[in-house]
Amino acid sequence: MRSFPYSRLSFFGAPRTLALLALVVFGLSGCATKPPASDPDALADYEQTNDPLEPTNRVFYAVNNGLDTVILRPAALAYRYVLPAPVRDGVHNVLTNIGSPIQLANDILEAKPRRAGDTTMRLLINTTVGVLGIFDVATKWGYPNHDADFGMTLALWGVPEGPFLFLPVLGPSDPRDAAGFGVDIALDPFTWIGTGPNHPGWTAFTWSRYALNAIDTRERVLDSLDQIKKTALDPYATFRSLYRQHRHAQIEDARNDNRATIPIWFPQPANASAK
Amino acid sequence: MINRPVTNRRHFLTLAALVAVAPFPAWAQSADKAAAFVKSTGDKLVGVVNGPGSASAKRTEMTQIIDSDVDVEGIGRFCLGRYWKQATTDQQKQYLSLFHEVLVTNITAKLGEYKGVSFTMGRSKAQDEEAVVSTTVMRPNNPPTAVDWIIANPSADPKIVDVVAEGTSLRLTQRQDYASYLTHNNGSIDALIAAMKNQVSQSG
Repeated sequence: MRSFPYSRLSFFGAPRTLALLALVVFGLSGCATKPPASDPDALADYEQTNDPLEPTNRVFYAVNNGLDTVILRPAALAYRYVLPAPVRDGVHNVLTNIGSPIQLANDILEAKPRRAGDTTMRLLINTTVGVLGIFDVATKWGYPNHDADFGMTLALWGVPEGPFLFLPVLGPSDPRDAAGFGVDIALDPFTWIGTGPNHPGWTAFTWSRYALNAIDTRERVLDSLDQIKKTALDPYATFRSLYRQHRHAQIEDARNDNRATIPIWFPQPANASAK
Repeated sequence: MINRPVTNRRHFLTLAALVAVAPFPAWAQSADKAAAFVKSTGDKLVGVVNGPGSASAKRTEMTQIIDSDVDVEGIGRFCLGRYWKQATTDQQKQYLSLFHEVLVTNITAKLGEYKGVSFTMGRSKAQDEEAVVSTTVMRPNNPPTAVDWIIANPSADPKIVDVVAEGTSLRLTQRQDYASYLTHNNGSIDALIAAMKNQVSQSG
């Protein structure tokens, strides 16, 4: 549950080409011009939008949009066409399960013991009873999924989000989430097992997982993204708004999850039993 | 996550404070009324989406529900933001009528996608002049979505003023879309009106 259209659209292409592209693009673009102080309304808008790199961001938006149109969207459509929904759900559950060590690390770093407990139970139950994560049994048993990543952890630690960024390949972000993305890769145990040329199996696993993750995420938002691109007057601004609102909601959800940690067999104080 | 029992300490304290200060029955009533209103509107919407009838018949029914239960004018004003005051009366009128049409079109365009939709009610709470009613919307082949309905004037004349899906506000998103469009078109409200006209004519 709680996977959402606009949060993490990611897929990995040829890094060298992209680096080159980034160089070219950065060379071409500049900053948004700040409105003069004589126009307070426009200035307030500018500050609220907090997107000083807008021209550059829009270039990357256009690039990503192009890549999406020719690669990711067709892949997601094919994926939807070939596999029936229950199989796709199974794939999604396996991917979520594989990602739960990162989630657990972040639950702990966020100092959310009940969330860490949920994640641990989900990992144990779904890996065993749920057959390597194919079936999400844990949700039915009272351990629902939640979001946790290092971007959220930084937010809970009080790090401000910073200006809006639209990253090549990765999509909408901000400095906090971009840093979080890198730390999450480092927190992932699968990043560290069997890397290098001596372990072609693990390398294949890692990259298949990234690719599958991208296709799975994209498939789940096919309808929403098509709808937004059709109805928004400025899709870039709409995605910017949606991305931020959604991240804020995820962060507030985590912040407000202050369920008590008293064991069930211990006498419960009134009104502190459950969230 | 919505249908988990929800009372944490902070909510209890807020509630206790409210009971102490405010006339409790009135406060509880407006939240209850808002919930009942959302339930009835939701049932109507689900009825149209899942019911028989041609696309055009559904569009007519949908328009009726929107006109009676949604504060289209209020949302429209909100979405234009600071440009509302700059607009001439004529522009305001044109904009509002287009806004209504765009809203109806966008909602009815999604009807096919929403076939088989259902929802469950969550908690509701009153805040200021508004009430927030939480629901969980279920669609076949889609993960359940947490949707909050913001209801203005819950006890007298309830109207939907915003829909918040997974933390994203419909009216705020629309406002920022329009604001960005206006910024990139020198703040010309006529340009916005033209773009909206174009949008309506394209979607038929």
